[in-house]
Amino acid sequence: MKGKIALVTGGSRGIGAAIVKRLAEEGASVYFTYCSSREEAERLAGSFAHSAGRVFCLPCDVRRPGEVQKVVEEVTEREKRLDVLVNNAGIVRDGLFLTMSDEDWQEVLDTNLGGVYRFCKAAARQMVLQRAGRIINISSIVGELGGLGQANYAASKGAVNAFTKSLAAELASRNVTVNAVSPGMVNTRMSEAVRSAYGDKIKEKIPLGTFAEPSDVAAVAAFLASEDARYITGQVITVDGGLGLLGRR
Amino acid sequence: MQADKNGIIQSVKTVISQALRVDESQISLESSLIKDLGAESIDFLDIVFRLEKTFKIKIPKGELFPEKLLTDPAFVKDGRVTGAGIAELKARIPNSRWEEFSKNPLVANLGDVFTVGMIVNYLCEKLEAVKR
Repeated sequence: MKGKIALVTGGSRGIGAAIVKRLAEEGASVYFTYCSSREEAERLAGSFAHSAGRVFCLPCDVRRPGEVQKVVEEVTEREKRLDVLVNNAGIVRDGLFLTMSDEDWQEVLDTNLGGVYRFCKAAARQMVLQRAGRIINISSIVGELGGLGQANYAASKGAVNAFTKSLAAELASRNVTVNAVSPGMVNTRMSEAVRSAYGDKIKEKIPLGTFAEPSDVAAVAAFLASEDARYITGQVITVDGGLGLLGRR
Repeated sequence: MQADKNGIIQSVKTVISQALRVDESQISLESSLIKDLGAESIDFLDIVFRLEKTFKIKIPKGELFPEKLLTDPAFVKDGRVTGAGIAELKARIPNSRWEEFSKNPLVANLGDVFTVGMIVNYLCEKLEAVKR
């Protein structure tokens, strides 16, 4: 990844932070966005002072088109190219569908799906012009299997999978690949509530017997960003310890 | 003006050569983007992106290549562009081979109208308007 320019959305914690770390360790210059905690983001960016690649953080609410455009413009103006886009920013607002508020539905769709749409729209133009690029969307196994109390989240991730395949077909002739990584249960702050409530029950359903670490997902994202994955596009790569296999029964 | 136009023609040839991966020597003002140079739908977008960057202008969606118009039932019927469609196309792209196209206005023949010369004419007018 040496010399490559990567942009990771929602990179200040969890899976996003692991992807930033992995890409920087492999030598890429990594820009990541954060939405709420500037301090946390700057601390993370600063911690890569001795890594192979440079790391920078930029504020961005992925629901706001102007902010998304500004981030992509800043990166491409500074670096004159953008090689890798990882759409990781996402939220959960779990709740049973019958009592789910319109706001919780809208906010999740607008962030998890709308954010992917906006960043792809802004970045794809540069990638088409340079005739090269890698887009990696972080999805979820819930997008395929569904999940109790997650109608909004499941809908957003299922849509990301379909979006990934469609965009892959459109951009393939420009040597831009588009893939998704679909994690199962990962040890992050976002899944903390579910893990503490149903952790043991979920573990019983995972053939590999443990939750994933953010680095497990980051490794797949880094592979998809690498030259080794040049012939892979339109795929949703599941990283779930086999959870989906039993979930279908 | 002629010197300007020559510069525009050269830049357009470079843009098309980069977008379609064809040698500049194969590109003339009469070349049809689809029939002669093998352009597909995403190529038109690629050309627009590169023109915007090269000439530092904004080309509003549908202004150079009116693709949306071709899915409007008021302008296209049974694979043929209607009279209203041809009038609309003439208004949007005045400097093209509409007389020839009108004789057999199949949508499939529209590729003949989208020529390198059409892009050059569009840019000459657009850049003149920007200067004014």
